[in-house]
Amino acid sequence: MTSLLEIKNLKTRFFTADGVVKAVNDVSYSMESGEILGIVGESGCGKSVHALSIMQLIPDPPGKITNGEVLFEGRNLLDLDERDMRKVRGRDIAMIFQDPMTSLNPVFTVGYQIVEALRLHNDMTKKEARKRAGELLTLVGIPGAETRLDDYPHQFSGGMRQRAMIAMGLSCEPKLLIADEPTTALDVTIQAQIVDLVKKLQQELGMAIMWITHDLGVVAEMAERINVMYAGSIIERGKVRNIYKKTRHPYTMGLLGSLPRLDDSPGTKLASVPGLPPDLLALPEGCAFAARCAYRNDHCLAEKPPLVEIDGPDHIVACWRWEEIAGINKNE
Amino acid sequence: MANITPEEVIVTDFAVREHRSLWIDAWRRLISSNTARLGMFIVALFVLSAILAHYFWEYDPKVDLDYTLKLKPPTLVANEDVPSVHLFGTDKLGRDIFRRVVHGGWNSLRVGIVAVGISLTVGGLIGLFAGFYENINMTSLERIFLFGFTGLIMGILPAWAAAQPLQAVLMAGLGVAAAYFPNFHKDSINRLWIFAAAGGVVTAVPSLFAGSLVTLVCGVWGILTGALLSRPLEGKFFSNVMMRLMDIVLSFPGYLLAIAIVAFLGPGLEKGMIAIGIVSIPVYARLTRSAVLAVIQKEYILAAQAVGEKHGRIIFRHLTPNILSPIIVQTTMGLANAILSAAALGFLGLGAIPPEPEWGAMLGDSYRYLTSGAWWAVLFPGLAIMLSVLGFNLLGDGLRDALDPKLRT
Amino acid sequence: MNEKQTPLVEVRHLKKYFPITGGFLQRKVGEVKAVDDVSFQVFHGETLGLVGETGCGKTTVGRTMLRLYEPTDGKIIFDGTDLTSLGEEALRNNRKRMQMIFQDPYASLNPRMTVGSIVGAPLDVHTRMSGKEKYDRIQDLLDIVGLNPDFVNRYPHEFSGGQRQRIGIARALALEPDLIVCDEPISSLDVSIQAQVVNLLEELQKKIGLTYVFIAHDLSMVRHISNRIAVMYLGKIMELADRDEIYLNSLHPYTQALMSAVPIPDPDLALERHRIILDGDIPSPKNPPKGCNFNTRCPIAKERCFVEEPAYREVKENHWAACHFVE
Repeated sequence: MTSLLEIKNLKTRFFTADGVVKAVNDVSYSMESGEILGIVGESGCGKSVHALSIMQLIPDPPGKITNGEVLFEGRNLLDLDERDMRKVRGRDIAMIFQDPMTSLNPVFTVGYQIVEALRLHNDMTKKEARKRAGELLTLVGIPGAETRLDDYPHQFSGGMRQRAMIAMGLSCEPKLLIADEPTTALDVTIQAQIVDLVKKLQQELGMAIMWITHDLGVVAEMAERINVMYAGSIIERGKVRNIYKKTRHPYTMGLLGSLPRLDDSPGTKLASVPGLPPDLLALPEGCAFAARCAYRNDHCLAEKPPLVEIDGPDHIVACWRWEEIAGINKNE
Repeated sequence: MANITPEEVIVTDFAVREHRSLWIDAWRRLISSNTARLGMFIVALFVLSAILAHYFWEYDPKVDLDYTLKLKPPTLVANEDVPSVHLFGTDKLGRDIFRRVVHGGWNSLRVGIVAVGISLTVGGLIGLFAGFYENINMTSLERIFLFGFTGLIMGILPAWAAAQPLQAVLMAGLGVAAAYFPNFHKDSINRLWIFAAAGGVVTAVPSLFAGSLVTLVCGVWGILTGALLSRPLEGKFFSNVMMRLMDIVLSFPGYLLAIAIVAFLGPGLEKGMIAIGIVSIPVYARLTRSAVLAVIQKEYILAAQAVGEKHGRIIFRHLTPNILSPIIVQTTMGLANAILSAAALGFLGLGAIPPEPEWGAMLGDSYRYLTSGAWWAVLFPGLAIMLSVLGFNLLGDGLRDALDPKLRT
Repeated sequence: MNEKQTPLVEVRHLKKYFPITGGFLQRKVGEVKAVDDVSFQVFHGETLGLVGETGCGKTTVGRTMLRLYEPTDGKIIFDGTDLTSLGEEALRNNRKRMQMIFQDPYASLNPRMTVGSIVGAPLDVHTRMSGKEKYDRIQDLLDIVGLNPDFVNRYPHEFSGGQRQRIGIARALALEPDLIVCDEPISSLDVSIQAQVVNLLEELQKKIGLTYVFIAHDLSMVRHISNRIAVMYLGKIMELADRDEIYLNSLHPYTQALMSAVPIPDPDLALERHRIILDGDIPSPKNPPKGCNFNTRCPIAKERCFVEEPAYREVKENHWAACHFVE
């Protein structure tokens, strides 16, 4: 059986005046239909660029996908020309972004924009499309959907706009929805609403969701699998419980330790990760995390660790010393 | 499986970017751009030739006259007909056009610097104060200064109309008084009446000599100004008054206003410079104000206040360096504009007085001879105007790109 | 906290309304009640957390506390002195005792100034140090916040967000203040960098004995760093209590909902807990609801909540709340 999405050795580079930015380095993984995959990492780790690479929305120049395959239902998207790719976008794969204010066009009504998206990929009359748009807004929980179709984006609140973006993303019932930090700009109580909504929609519509975030908290409760990225590479990947409870990569451990928890006791020091992420213009020879790692040795500095399966495909890690680290992980 | 213990990681702190100031950065971008380099070359050529000519190539236009050489075409070598070399030919009075173009450059340079100087100083100050005090509370001393300044600016119109500088001074005094006695009949309509009456008196009385119509206009203006100055003394109010005043100036077509001002002041290059300067005050005032408004809401201004830095220090250390970029660009473009305006005035006979060499006046003198084939008398001054304007505009464009803050966070 | 202690700062019935202006002469046409009758105390050496969502007025409270904004009404008593009554000069002298760390590390440092002159600015204003003394002090400060002291002549744009925030902290520390208001100092930083900065702030508090007002929207981080927490909503404090009291016995329905909305980085706990999902959006502070501010989203709102504004009162010892239905 072919996976819904299979990425093989994806490399994306930005050719700038200062040098070549190695934004995505040899990313490979697959995603099944109906699955929620969390992609976690800090700014500059390549999580968004890799998603844009899937959609082929990398600004070129200076960006270029230099290597790899993106197989969607067995078809390599990188072989498609712009016209065929346009059919894939929106109909097969939809994407929503962090800032719903800039992704909605302020001079058109929300309804008009959803109707346009619908008519682009479906053979619909304006009337049908408008009816469908109303249904979609109701689906994403916007009260009084019919009347709000004629509102402009600025008349919507931040949470409402993100709902409208989701409605637009869902308009053609895509098989995969890529959500790039969709709740980062929102307040916690509104974030909780959106997360709740997306989980519900996923169960109802059965689409696969790729949820890109820097927040390990949000994905813990919704994703089935997590990819942790660092400096353009996946450094740990697996089922949610494996990532959070049997953490093997020192960076993932550091990230989890950096988060205060509502149930921790007073006075505990956060286990922060020292230093800064590496410069993507000049990635080190060995493991990209070695400079900040408490467990590094000479081997780590010299050679980049490959991804190895430590629990079949359910837990994969890129660290030379994962076996030793397994012995000291306190989370278990 | 051997257990390992984490080691203390000592991470060497590194700067993320190369070490250089934003100004040096901008300079590097500037010299790497072809447009800017071409602009700089033309501007340098223009400035250098003007300065060299003025100081090392004496020229007295009053005695430059030779009817035997009337309207001779460009010559590269002396011959029987034209015994001297005239690169650009000669004009209707037999004067060497090359010499006059180069010396005309000196005049254009002066016009540019003086006119832009006037508009930049006055407009820049108005914009700076308007933007700054719109957001930051004034101290009482600043209030007095600012209202004096407002009175002075408002007093210029009657002072000009009645040719009586006393009014501007008296109005400034009225502003100072309004700021110095903020509680005088506070919250009472009397305050308005008293100040309006005072404004009317100080403007109308000194203009009595200038005729009844002038007295009437000045009196009404004075009453309005007095009423304005009686209002609650806030930065927002000051900004409003100044910006509306700028709107009024802007509502006249630029050249028309300049011509009107020259007509009032009388012709002459110096008067032309002042007229051009006054006309573009609003441009600088608006630009500076908007730049200030953009910068002043940055947190580093708040941080400076939190530290307790004084307003003067905030203006000079935090505000000015950060609003300079658009002003530098505008100044460069403004130079081109001033040169063009001076040429226009000169062409109309309102600028430089003949026989003073001035590009616009030279054009105006010679275009009638175009039909008789004397193309050189028009071409070279015209080319000089075009090239210098082009040079400053190219440089301005280059500067805009180089200083664009969007390239850097 | 020991209630016999005199507070370092006491804020009494603080109000800050921003005018909404419009028209040709920019007349006032309305007002935003950014902070509406807020009272609390901050004790020596403690950290008071101020949490709330967008538009709740937490940043305005922080700025008004330091009189960076002129309060509309109310008193701010800083170590016995009422800041609202001070003139320009007296206020400037008091500024060295209270400092602020800002939210945006990119906007809070003047891009045209070197790190050394940014950190040294408070020294210029309040001390008469010689050039050498100042230079040494600046190097010390950079060292304290974990930056390489050789960076004095560098410019802010050469650094990452976390490093810039450290520069901001060094500036705040320069005059050895008693109080630092931290206005969302970590919300624009990456997770691992957030922890670095929070650890630094905690270390400094232990070392120098600072008092913090820590403003954030992230309840888990506030709980981590604070001794007491005030929860704000639309310009008012909804609940104020010790950190554990807030966590274990929160009384106000808004606090409960806010707490349950915080994502937990643990799949098991996340599944177990009961989530309260609030309906609707936060109302605009330009046009707050009548009665209780929270009534449009409150799961337990009754008629009374739409008519009468609940009093902010001490429900238990050291536990304040503003809700009709808490006992």
